Amino acid sequence: MTDRIQILIQGLDTNSVASVTRTLDQVKNLEDLTVDEKICLTEAFFEIFAHAHHTNSTSMPKLAVRAGKRIAKFGPEMMPVLFNRLVEADSETANYYGKALARNGVAGLNYLFPKLSEHRSRDHDLINLIQALAYFKIPDAASTVPFVLSVAQHVNHQVTSMALYTIGRLVQQLPPSAFSDELRQFIFSSCFRFLSHAQGLVRKNAARTLGKMLRKGLLSAENEKKLYKAFLSICGRDEQHNWDRAFIVRREAEDFLPFFHHQSVPVRRYTQSYKIKSRQLLCANTYHLTIEAPLIARKIEAGQFVIVRPHIFSERIPLSICNWDRTKGTIDIIVSAVGKTTTEINAMNIGDAFEDVVGPLGERSALPTSPGTSVLIGGGYGTGAIIPTARDIKATGNKVIGIVGARNKENLIMVSELQAVCDEVILTTNDGSAGMGGLVTDALREVLLREKVVYVLAIGPVPMMKAVSEMTRPQAIPTFVSLNAIMVDGTGMCGACRVTVGGETKFACFHGPDFDGHKVDFENLMKRQKMFVKEERLAFEHLKV
Amino acid sequence: MNETTPTPRPLSNRERMGLPHQEMPLNDPVARVKNFDEVPVGYSEEMAQAEAMRCLQCKKPACIGACPVGINIPAFIKLIEQGKYGDAAKKIRETNFLPAVCGRVCPQDKQCQAVCVVGRKNIPVGIGNLERFAADYERNNHLLEMPSMNMPTGKRVAVIGSGPAGLSAAYELAIRGHEVVIFEASHRAGGVMVYGIPRFRLPLRIVDEDIRFLTKLGVRFVYNMVIGKVLTIEDLLQREGFDAVMVGTGAGLPRMLNVPGSNANGVFSANEYLTRIYLMDAHHFPKYSTPLSSGKKVAVIGAGNTAMDVMRTAKRLGAEVTCYYRRSHDEAPARSEELKHAEQEAINWRWLSNPVEFFVDENNFVKQIKCERMTLSEPDETGRRKPVPTGEFFVEECDTVVMSLGCSVNPIIPSTDAEIHTNKWGVIIVDPETCQTSKKGVFAAGDAITGGSTVILAMGQAKKAAAAIHEYLMGKPTDPSPAVNDAELKQDLVNTNR
Repeated sequence: MTDRIQILIQGLDTNSVASVTRTLDQVKNLEDLTVDEKICLTEAFFEIFAHAHHTNSTSMPKLAVRAGKRIAKFGPEMMPVLFNRLVEADSETANYYGKALARNGVAGLNYLFPKLSEHRSRDHDLINLIQALAYFKIPDAASTVPFVLSVAQHVNHQVTSMALYTIGRLVQQLPPSAFSDELRQFIFSSCFRFLSHAQGLVRKNAARTLGKMLRKGLLSAENEKKLYKAFLSICGRDEQHNWDRAFIVRREAEDFLPFFHHQSVPVRRYTQSYKIKSRQLLCANTYHLTIEAPLIARKIEAGQFVIVRPHIFSERIPLSICNWDRTKGTIDIIVSAVGKTTTEINAMNIGDAFEDVVGPLGERSALPTSPGTSVLIGGGYGTGAIIPTARDIKATGNKVIGIVGARNKENLIMVSELQAVCDEVILTTNDGSAGMGGLVTDALREVLLREKVVYVLAIGPVPMMKAVSEMTRPQAIPTFVSLNAIMVDGTGMCGACRVTVGGETKFACFHGPDFDGHKVDFENLMKRQKMFVKEERLAFEHLKV
Repeated sequence: MNETTPTPRPLSNRERMGLPHQEMPLNDPVARVKNFDEVPVGYSEEMAQAEAMRCLQCKKPACIGACPVGINIPAFIKLIEQGKYGDAAKKIRETNFLPAVCGRVCPQDKQCQAVCVVGRKNIPVGIGNLERFAADYERNNHLLEMPSMNMPTGKRVAVIGSGPAGLSAAYELAIRGHEVVIFEASHRAGGVMVYGIPRFRLPLRIVDEDIRFLTKLGVRFVYNMVIGKVLTIEDLLQREGFDAVMVGTGAGLPRMLNVPGSNANGVFSANEYLTRIYLMDAHHFPKYSTPLSSGKKVAVIGAGNTAMDVMRTAKRLGAEVTCYYRRSHDEAPARSEELKHAEQEAINWRWLSNPVEFFVDENNFVKQIKCERMTLSEPDETGRRKPVPTGEFFVEECDTVVMSLGCSVNPIIPSTDAEIHTNKWGVIIVDPETCQTSKKGVFAAGDAITGGSTVILAMGQAKKAAAAIHEYLMGKPTDPSPAVNDAELKQDLVNTNR
């Protein structure tokens, strides 16, 4: 054993989270490890596995998984070491050895699978080996299913339940394409038989595996009906059968009851996938996303917005809509990465789904009440949000002038889409790299001189909306601004989005988002938007880590 | 029970009256303000039996009448006394399907326990604690059984909102054989029980168990659906094929003080404060990305149940908490138990203090609160003592203000359906007998028709609404809920007549 490894291992205290974390970090930085060194380290990491459940810390098991990851990084030479410990591991630690092995991917599977038949006669070994199979995330792992199912016929019910558990995990984590039709039928018929096994644990795992097949859409319509009847009787909702004696089995079946598709109220019609259908880079850090949400698309009107939550850990943020397709059932949003959540959204790819999208929220934009010219002003990512309103006004026969402002040429977005629904579009850039140089207000001043303007809508940064409102105030032109206040629920429940309009407190989510620009207290809005600046920075740094 | 065992001489009423009240064991105040674990520990079996012995089993029990859902209180207490805990829970479930919730959050001291005969001379029987014990026993031992259900009627009901009113109505309708779909606007079912009531009063797993139970009865939940926006009531009735709609949207529009500085940064409504923590897990920031800039000195305005929840939550986030209320301790509307628990947790109290202004720093963050000292007038004809300003003011430091001044009704449903009428406070007008709104086939219950009340009252109304919906759907009066046992009812009548 070399000195550096000796020091590392002696410094490792497997009861201390700090010590384990430190050691793992140090090992990560080591270079040119020899095979012997790797084996020494691996043996030391096994101590972490063994102690993971004997400390009170909840982060110890996570660290053990991390240690397993490190072992896998050492390469395939470690597989025999892992394997030898796996077969003798107790039920609490076997998963760490299994997970570390499974990280070797195809090589791990090819190593592990032949060993299964060798150890078939020893129940304890077999249970651990089957459990290890459950952690493989490569489609090839599906090829082990027939063997696992044959093992499931074992007299020892612990082997059976572990085999069913493994199949359940594989069904959940592998893509549906990994399972051929015959394989699906084979899994279904085997697991279905186990629903009447004498042991509750076996029934539970069988029910769970079948439920997961249902959820993944691996069941044929006929099998689904069969399973529905079985689950109903397990839960005691079928008059002819008694419910399952074992609480764990009932609970499992109850959990999956809502996922059956052929019931008379098709709840599925109310569940939207929130999947990203297309994704297009508009300018730096700004994406145009098309999201599948047929119910929202059917109802949304110009000016309304949605609240999205990309994943279960994230916050709910309001986003305006720039387009929708009622027949395809999609809505379009523009997301500019400015904070943690928007950065996370922009990291999502086509096919990824939002956790939640709620909408349409807020009131639709007001339309001009008298004939004349309407001016719609979009600043930055607000450009997209004026398009639906421009289309609506254009449909009433009024003249529509769009003004788009951006820092420079590269940041001008959605111009052609806007041109399609406006009589005239004026581009402005701060540096003069495209269109007229200057601010949107410079363009507005010029329009006000030559046209009879009866309606102004401005969407964009608060200072821009404020400047626009100030410019139209002397002539008392009806001016609307769309306020992007901080929101939580979006239904008027929390009051986070309160804004001062004409001396009164209004809720942007419910009374807005459009308000009379001449009455809005912009100062207060700007200050309120900075409420969480410190936290946002913290969250952003957390994201980078 | 072994029949041959000689039964001990039954206690006389006088003896029962004299038995000591079993105090609910609580977690230590110093330790508990560091975590979100439930504060009351719960009765042991011995304690539950000792407490149950105190019930006099009155011939005409006043407690049943004082309970909004009419739980047969003496009957379930008797079962606990006999050690039949599972049966006791079953008894409660005949009329109340959320016993574990109600045992924890009901204002028993204003309802059943207020009229308890034992309470005239001694501390009243701990009905809430016993209800909680029975429900917990049932859950922990997996004794919960399926209720008897009617055959499917083929009628469909849409329930809007999954709070106490929505869940109760869904339960009552499901056991009558109707298909129920619950539409929830947020991403999580449970309404105020999830976003408003803190975990240390009502652990999440209890609400989840009850929701799981509903799904077992065939009730389906749909999330992220703001009814009125994504689907209107008219859509539900005309296009989506629902035969009736039950509105349980609650009172969600927070009231704010209209004083200078109330829109400053760091001023929250109680709803926002609690929602950020309990629905969005802001206290696990930055793992969960919802921020909450809760400071070191939190000022809470109001002294209702929600105010107590906010104070105790802020305390658990490590803040120093002060309560400002314009009346005095005795007028505080909170449940007495909550007030007591809050007092144990070292909250500072400023009774008779009416906030008149919030001072802000240069970044618009609140830094000080200015209050006027109040005094109480003599009771007027309604018996209520009004706060009267004294002209004396004081200023205190704070960096977060939470206003807990009650809520108005959520306006989305009435504002998107002209046929649903509201009064000038936005409360949905219903027929008090049937809970039917001015629109045919649309019923409402809970805070949406009261403008802010308790879980149990909402459940009582939902029960009434569900019965009316059932009658409306079947086109004629039919048997009431199968939960009511006819034979027992008749027996009771016979007893009363004797």
